[in-house]
Amino acid sequence: MKKTLLAVLVTLGPLCAETIVIQNATVMTVGSKGTFKGSVVVKDGKIAEVGEKVMVPAGATVIDAGGQYLIPGIIDCHSHIAGDGGINEGSVSVSSMVNIRDIINPDDIAIYRALAGGVTTANILHGSANAIGGMTLPLKMRWGKSAQEMIFAGATPGIKFALGENPKRSGNPQGGRGTAVPVARYPATRMGVEDVIREAFNDAKGYKAEWDAYDALVARGEHPLAPRVDLKLQALKEVLENKRYVHVHCYRADEILMMIRVADDVGFKVRTFQHVLEGYKVAKEIAAHGAGASTFSDWWAYKIEAIDAIPFNATLMMKKGIVVSLNSDDAELMRHLNTEAGKAMKYGGATETEALAMVTLNPAKQLGIDKTVGSIEVGKDADLVLYDGFPLSDFAKVQKVLIDGTVYFDRDKELVAQAAKEAEKKRLIDKEKASQQRTQPVRRPNQ
Amino acid sequence: MKILGILMASAVAAFAAGDVVLIQNADVYPINSAPIKGISLLIQDGKILDMGAKIVAPKGAMVLDVKGLRVYPGMIDSATDLGLEEIESIRESVDTGEIGDFMPQLRALSAVNPDSEHFGVVRVNGITGAVTFPSLGGRGGTGGQLISGQAALLHTDGWTWEEMEINRSVAMCLNFPSAGGRGGRGGGGGMPADMQDMLPGAVGAAGNAQRAVLDQIAKLNTFFDDARKYQKAKAAHLPGFHPDLKFDAMIPVLEGKMPLAVSAARANTIHDAIAWAEKQNVKIVILQPREIAKAGPELKAKNIPVILGRVLALPDNEDAEYDQAFTQPFEAYKAGVKFALGTFTNEFVRDLPYQAATAVAYGLPHDEALKALTINPAEIWGAGDKLGSVEKGKYADLLITDGDPMDVRTQIRHLFINGKEITLSNKQVRLYERYSGRQ
Amino acid sequence: MKKLLLSAFLVLCASAVAEVPSTVAIRNAKIVTVSGAVIAKGTVIIRGGLIDAVGENVAVPADAWVVDGEGMTVYPGLIDGLSTVGIAGAAPAAAAAGGGRGGRGTPATPATPTAPAAQAAPAERSWGPEDRPQTTSWLLAADEIQAGDRRVETVRGAGFTTAVTFPTRGIFGGQGSIIDLVSGEKAAEMILVPAAGQYIAMGRGGGFGGGGGGGGGFPSSLMGIIAYVRQVYLDADHYRLVKEAYAKDPRGMQRPEYDRALEGVLASKRILLPANRLVEIDRMLRFGAELKQPMILYGARDAYLPEAADLLKKANATVLLSLKWPTAPVRSPDAEDTDTLRMLEQRDKAPTAPAVLQKAGIKYALYADGLDAPRDFQRAVKKAIDNGLSREDALRALTLSPAEIYGVADRVGSIEKGKIANLVLTKGDIFDDRTTVVMVFVDGKKYTPAETAAPGGRGGASTDDPGPGGNR
Repeated sequence: MKKTLLAVLVTLGPLCAETIVIQNATVMTVGSKGTFKGSVVVKDGKIAEVGEKVMVPAGATVIDAGGQYLIPGIIDCHSHIAGDGGINEGSVSVSSMVNIRDIINPDDIAIYRALAGGVTTANILHGSANAIGGMTLPLKMRWGKSAQEMIFAGATPGIKFALGENPKRSGNPQGGRGTAVPVARYPATRMGVEDVIREAFNDAKGYKAEWDAYDALVARGEHPLAPRVDLKLQALKEVLENKRYVHVHCYRADEILMMIRVADDVGFKVRTFQHVLEGYKVAKEIAAHGAGASTFSDWWAYKIEAIDAIPFNATLMMKKGIVVSLNSDDAELMRHLNTEAGKAMKYGGATETEALAMVTLNPAKQLGIDKTVGSIEVGKDADLVLYDGFPLSDFAKVQKVLIDGTVYFDRDKELVAQAAKEAEKKRLIDKEKASQQRTQPVRRPNQ
Repeated sequence: MKILGILMASAVAAFAAGDVVLIQNADVYPINSAPIKGISLLIQDGKILDMGAKIVAPKGAMVLDVKGLRVYPGMIDSATDLGLEEIESIRESVDTGEIGDFMPQLRALSAVNPDSEHFGVVRVNGITGAVTFPSLGGRGGTGGQLISGQAALLHTDGWTWEEMEINRSVAMCLNFPSAGGRGGRGGGGGMPADMQDMLPGAVGAAGNAQRAVLDQIAKLNTFFDDARKYQKAKAAHLPGFHPDLKFDAMIPVLEGKMPLAVSAARANTIHDAIAWAEKQNVKIVILQPREIAKAGPELKAKNIPVILGRVLALPDNEDAEYDQAFTQPFEAYKAGVKFALGTFTNEFVRDLPYQAATAVAYGLPHDEALKALTINPAEIWGAGDKLGSVEKGKYADLLITDGDPMDVRTQIRHLFINGKEITLSNKQVRLYERYSGRQ
Repeated sequence: MKKLLLSAFLVLCASAVAEVPSTVAIRNAKIVTVSGAVIAKGTVIIRGGLIDAVGENVAVPADAWVVDGEGMTVYPGLIDGLSTVGIAGAAPAAAAAGGGRGGRGTPATPATPTAPAAQAAPAERSWGPEDRPQTTSWLLAADEIQAGDRRVETVRGAGFTTAVTFPTRGIFGGQGSIIDLVSGEKAAEMILVPAAGQYIAMGRGGGFGGGGGGGGGFPSSLMGIIAYVRQVYLDADHYRLVKEAYAKDPRGMQRPEYDRALEGVLASKRILLPANRLVEIDRMLRFGAELKQPMILYGARDAYLPEAADLLKKANATVLLSLKWPTAPVRSPDAEDTDTLRMLEQRDKAPTAPAVLQKAGIKYALYADGLDAPRDFQRAVKKAIDNGLSREDALRALTLSPAEIYGVADRVGSIEKGKIANLVLTKGDIFDDRTTVVMVFVDGKKYTPAETAAPGGRGGASTDDPGPGGNR
């Protein structure tokens, strides 16, 4: 009877992937089948069948979801959870040598909390202290698994860029609140931010040329000395080769447009604009560039560049032809992205499906993983969330969350687990007290 | 003449407070009684003059037919920085958190900027009343204040702060000393992570925190003792008596006329605060309690109301239930503690009804959630006779909606504050309209 | 008569001053050889600093000083596999890996970057890997050792005769050296093996930020440190190739620029990587494999977890396990906060780690991790024994195992003929906290421990471990 934390959580946690039939649910597929009342069959971690009437395979576990709603797993396109030892390498204005992949912390309780909020995939981004930040990647919230097992297999990795206040504040000894940097770090203006990006790609192109020449010689059967591997430029070379997505933290319309023009000049595509609170002002240009937009529903006014934020941003950009997602950037907000999507209905009149897509299919598209996740379609990963009510309203709560057909969160079991946790804690505290008393006998007064 | 008519029709807030409005065919949700369908409401001089099945429109009254729509009392956020803070990261735009440990003489009301964009943003979501605090912990200023001043209850609309005022001094704010600082203030929010990384860290509780707490309580007691001596001296009309603004401000507290709004998160701190208040013989309201299940029985027994913090907040620690914050309102309800909700920032004020809905998802009865947004705060802040329900004689702070105001899909169709119809526009709507038109 | 004389001498000379008899015979003692069977009653002969003979029936040479070992036990001298002893002013080594637990969800996480304990002295602000920040990879502990370090005497009192001591500042601290804990005039006398491997620390990334704060420049986060170490090894590889090519035919080729940081790295035959938590063990095992360097993981606090043991076993890892078990923080009695379940489990289970590693057949050694005071050290080992480690295995993990890990089992780590005469004589079992170390031989030189510090007293500075739970 092992009584480790993991044992407690594992026994009550994920069941093995099995054949599961979820019946009688209102299924919001965000896919070709629209919303209907019926069943979803999960087999070998994938969605095997979707329909009003399905055959229950022999030996399948049946979940009667009468009165409940089933949606695709929620995808957060902007998160900073599950990292160890800082998620900002803010010392330099180009930190593309660092990689979130190196510091995944599967024990971060925020993963479990996100899971309990219906999130099955999250794009873990480097912070925004520098014009070109570190490398990033999406994770599946497979709580209880190791760092490597959380990585979203096959997903194109990304890199974080940042414009505006954050990268310039980090560089300016006078700027910001209390972040006195003894030595000023370039840049301190939006002009400088643009320059940093252009200079970095200027270097990256030279680096790429060097390697291309080398690769050509090798292809001819020669054995030249390889150029030096420069991790910083390597990441940008991958951007130039379309092997790495660029996610750009931005606020103001001017800087968004600047980024588009820089990308056009350099020759790469911005995959997503993040925050992009003034995206609605340059929606036409974003749409023309082909970038996605990942924004907040209604967060605003926390800083000057967030002052023209409007809650209609998501729907307005959507109507202008941009793939829009709603993200959290926050371990708490992450737990109710479903209702953030609901606000897209309120502000700007998105339909249920359009709103739900903003936290499922659209972020999947933005991350290039929509072939496997983002909607309830046969053949996709069985990443599913069951709510006890209409999932875009705050009146609903998550009942079950499946990832790859495995139940990773079950509210009923959570309640039992909590009691077990408390009991185990008490046992350990008592044990420790007892042993302290044993080893350090109470001093008695001299007789 | 025709042009004038158009101008008048498009004018914002077409009816001034003195005007008469008759709302017909309303499904009224009065809060303190069962819903009544299809009745009329007569509004005059900012108040609900009459309500009933058949009210004849007085001459000159504006008639508003709201068939199929619902009427609710306006919602009240019991803890905000509204009017005192515009942009969180710009100190120049923030007027909370004055310097000084004991600043009871400060009044939030007179620093409220009626033109703050936040008012426009929150009222179109049905927040018609708010309590504005001089300091919710001093994010803006020095922090660490013990007594930071007087909170004001106000309408979220008005030309001046005087017109917005419901009660300029609903509570004296006390940050009760505790070892964990203001521990338990829910994580999440405040600002996005991308901003937080720019901030210097919060200083952790030091090892001798306990001693610091005792020191602070001692300071607090001394201040109260001095205030009492002053009160006596003043009453005795002693010769040579010299007025003191700080102590004058304390007199309503000492007389039990004004409650202390006490920030206390943990159960022990709440207990200490209650014991302290009993000793001082003052009334208190607890702000942002976190361990209601533990603190509930005592709060109930002592009849102490609470203002619950954000429902959408992170658990206190790794081991806490994931839904710890979501269930606090239900816990308060189960314990029989009187409670209202507060968002404790400006950024989430407009989401107040959705926070209440989350509480419903996690056990709170639906009606109780509505009360926590309306009649409970009105009563807790001593304005139960003036607002918080749809009743004759109360302020006409009304929402006219196409559904449950706690449901995110619901739209507000008409809004009345102080009897005046409020245009459902604001800076954000204007930007939306403007940029929707960009080809 | 002789015995009496010696005893008198013992009393008078309870100091660090070594006696140097040319030949010593320890008679009638229980001899725990570690490499072979325990000799219930036997003799060890020391000659010329080496073990000349050991056995039940060994003749005592006529010129020998005789120590009557009746009622005493002879052990091989203990080896501290990761130490800073001998390097003046050094903080004891600590496996401070990783940092804030990320997940800013948890409240009260100090966001201010804690100045990495192992940060190099304020230098030029680093703007990237090319500046070789916090790197002194070229340093050899052997060149830094100061003969007069008082800690030598202290740890010898616990029975240590050998330490692998490292320069620990910065990310690449430099190479450790294996030293014998003699107190002499010259540091050079102490050096057993000058280059024992490169010490790498991961500092402590600062909470969420790291930010631009601190002013220390790059790297300011854990991922920055990892990227830096990775770049250094890529550079070292490239540097080596370029140098080889140049050596072969310099004509027409740019002269490669001398890079002492890379020279230091290339000269290191193994690396030591920090890993305490399970996630760090996983991470560093992968990282070490990626770097293609022979490696030792140090710290290993979470090795008690079955998952950790599995990982270590699969990777065929070598582990230095810290004896500094996590302890409860000091709290005021009415504090409401309790530790998290995770921390409580760590405290409960961490001392089972040696037994777990032993059972799993993982190559490991124990190290004192700054527990210099003999009583603290003995208590820590005792805790491992109370948690399932046999006394024999405990002893091996502090003698022959570290010797094997560092490739010096042919000269230290057990009582065998021909090995260096590093021996400990005790009254009682060496890991009982009531035991007294009667004398210690290092390189055949005899030392008598001074009165040990009062129980509970901590010798040396305490390590900079993240503390109980180690998560903050």
